[in-house]
Amino acid sequence: MGANGFVGGAIVRHLRAIGVAALPLSRTDIDLLQPDAGEKLAARLKPDDAFLFVSAIAPCRDHDGLLRNLTMVRAVCAGLERASAAHVINISSDAVYAASEETVSERTPAAPADLHGVMHATREVMLRGSIKAPLAILRPSLLYGAADPHNGYGPNRFRRLAAEGKEITLFGGGEEQRDHVFIDDVSAVVGLCLMHRSQGVLNIATGRSVAFRHIADMVAGKFAQPVKITPTPRRNPIVHRHFDVTDRVKAFPRFAFTPLEQGLARVHQESLGGRRG
Amino acid sequence: MSARIGFAGLTHLGICSATATAAHGFQTVGYDADVGLVANLAAGEPPILEPGLRETMAANTHLLRFTADISHLRDCDVIYLALDVRTDDAGNSDLAPLRELIGKVAGVARPQASIVILSQVPPGFTRAYAAADARFIYQVETLIFGRAMERALRPERFIVGCAEPAAQLPAPYAALLRAFGCPILPMRFESAELAKISINMCLVASVGVANTMAELCEGVGADWSEIVPALKLDARIGPKAYLAPGLGIAGGNLERDLSTVVRLSGEHGTDCGIVKAWIANSTHRRDWALRRLAETVLEKPGELVIGVLGLAYKEDTASTKNSPSVALIRNLRPVPLQAYDPAVKVDSAWHPQISGAASALAACDGAAAVVIMTPWREFRDLDPATMARRMSGKVLIDPYRVLDPAACRAAGLAYHTLGRPAEAA
Repeated sequence: MGANGFVGGAIVRHLRAIGVAALPLSRTDIDLLQPDAGEKLAARLKPDDAFLFVSAIAPCRDHDGLLRNLTMVRAVCAGLERASAAHVINISSDAVYAASEETVSERTPAAPADLHGVMHATREVMLRGSIKAPLAILRPSLLYGAADPHNGYGPNRFRRLAAEGKEITLFGGGEEQRDHVFIDDVSAVVGLCLMHRSQGVLNIATGRSVAFRHIADMVAGKFAQPVKITPTPRRNPIVHRHFDVTDRVKAFPRFAFTPLEQGLARVHQESLGGRRG
Repeated sequence: MSARIGFAGLTHLGICSATATAAHGFQTVGYDADVGLVANLAAGEPPILEPGLRETMAANTHLLRFTADISHLRDCDVIYLALDVRTDDAGNSDLAPLRELIGKVAGVARPQASIVILSQVPPGFTRAYAAADARFIYQVETLIFGRAMERALRPERFIVGCAEPAAQLPAPYAALLRAFGCPILPMRFESAELAKISINMCLVASVGVANTMAELCEGVGADWSEIVPALKLDARIGPKAYLAPGLGIAGGNLERDLSTVVRLSGEHGTDCGIVKAWIANSTHRRDWALRRLAETVLEKPGELVIGVLGLAYKEDTASTKNSPSVALIRNLRPVPLQAYDPAVKVDSAWHPQISGAASALAACDGAAAVVIMTPWREFRDLDPATMARRMSGKVLIDPYRVLDPAACRAAGLAYHTLGRPAEAA
């Protein structure tokens, strides 16, 4: 559910590429905001299906957005209560964690600081309370990819600015370190979770956080014309986010994330019209 | 005539303590209901590995006997309850076997005898018995796996919990303690029981500092081994401070005491945040080798084999209780492993593709990476160049710095150890 989105679309492509029968569902199939959505979802589910819940109105910035997202989750819960699935995977977010200097792991308490995080955290609680099937909750860190429609601060925005010949403006000197995940890696992890019928919470993060300045340099370096990178006076204290990825290593010891340099290069190629590999 | 001393419960604690008591010239009888165990001990075949134990037993056979007949404790002036208390994976104690044994011993002991609880018990345990039976005393045990005989024969002090700390200890018991020639510290029951736990909390705190700062060293480019001598020369820290970084707390005893403190804090509403942080840090450090393997060989495509040297949770013991090595092995299920330990046999329940190697070098054969998970002395004799020739890869993960980093580097190995940044091959 949510197959037309940036994340959902990537997951569907990957699953089909590895031979998994994927049924893409979007709003045109089931509008989760409608009262009969739960019923319609239940009618689609078979007992041996795995259900991937990716749909979200994101970013969630206001109360209306929050309530609409929760309406969607309620519909999914209603559907899964009516008709069982063999396995459920919920794509959540690392927004459930508080902004803090402490290294984040799956044992870090969910303490969201904004409505987007509240939305995802509430969604997790609602699903946990409704679902009897094995439930995997995946919390990706910051995602990047050529098809990302969002223009959040980071590689996506930096690339678009550079492509438009504009300067890349950094918050402060771009010192904050964040963990950026290539969209194809999210799909790959979802595929592994399906294969193993994984359950529990897993952060999707590389374990290697990088400063925004470094990312800006890497993105700018892909363009033939010089790209100006401009720091700004710092307004907020520097807060890094690092992930302890031990749980992911334990779950999938042989899985390797796309190195950031390589991922940015692929995104650059795709955005220039190159085919996806 | 010197006192006759009995030990009930012939686990590691009982065997080592009884042997040390006999070595100090006391007629000592060790009791256990396990007939087979008693027979083996009588034949000089203890079921545990401890340096010096067999030799000390052999040298004192005229003073030390073992029996499966509890009535043989009746003549004893002092009877120790010396059963090691088992813990579950969460560090929670199972006191039921001890309580059962206490009931039996109390039933056979003479009215004038001292019944000394040496087993690891929580605060309040001994007073619950002493309130109805004045024979009960508590004594802190301070054995260390792998150094138990040294600790039992030459204790640093005796910490004794009793009903009246200011009063004289029963004469036979006092004579026994004096024979060891170390300070004797009587105190109330709960103080002694908590003293035992407090000792371990101090050790855990020290290890927590070492682990935390060693990890930081790995990130900032420092070397923790260069810092430690400077710390030990600080009188406030001391030359014997526990500052070696490790792979988390293991063995069972420290984990039990951490669990006890958290439980007691919950019951009494006291703050134990720092204790929980130590536990979290221990869990984090346990997987250090796994994370290094992930960064170096696991994330690379292709088949590979990993060599694991050491299975016991520490050297000079056969115990795998909470062993970091076994934890690592369980987390490497998709990867074939070759493992060697001088005292522990491979258990196929740990891993579907693990084989036991005949030697440490055999465990290196064809390995993409070798991990030295227990710092056995014999591993120090390994030649890095020979290891490198037999391996297929170049990664050597040596958390305890068993081998010389410079020799490993010269052999072309990518050397990884706790407390300093990783080196490329």
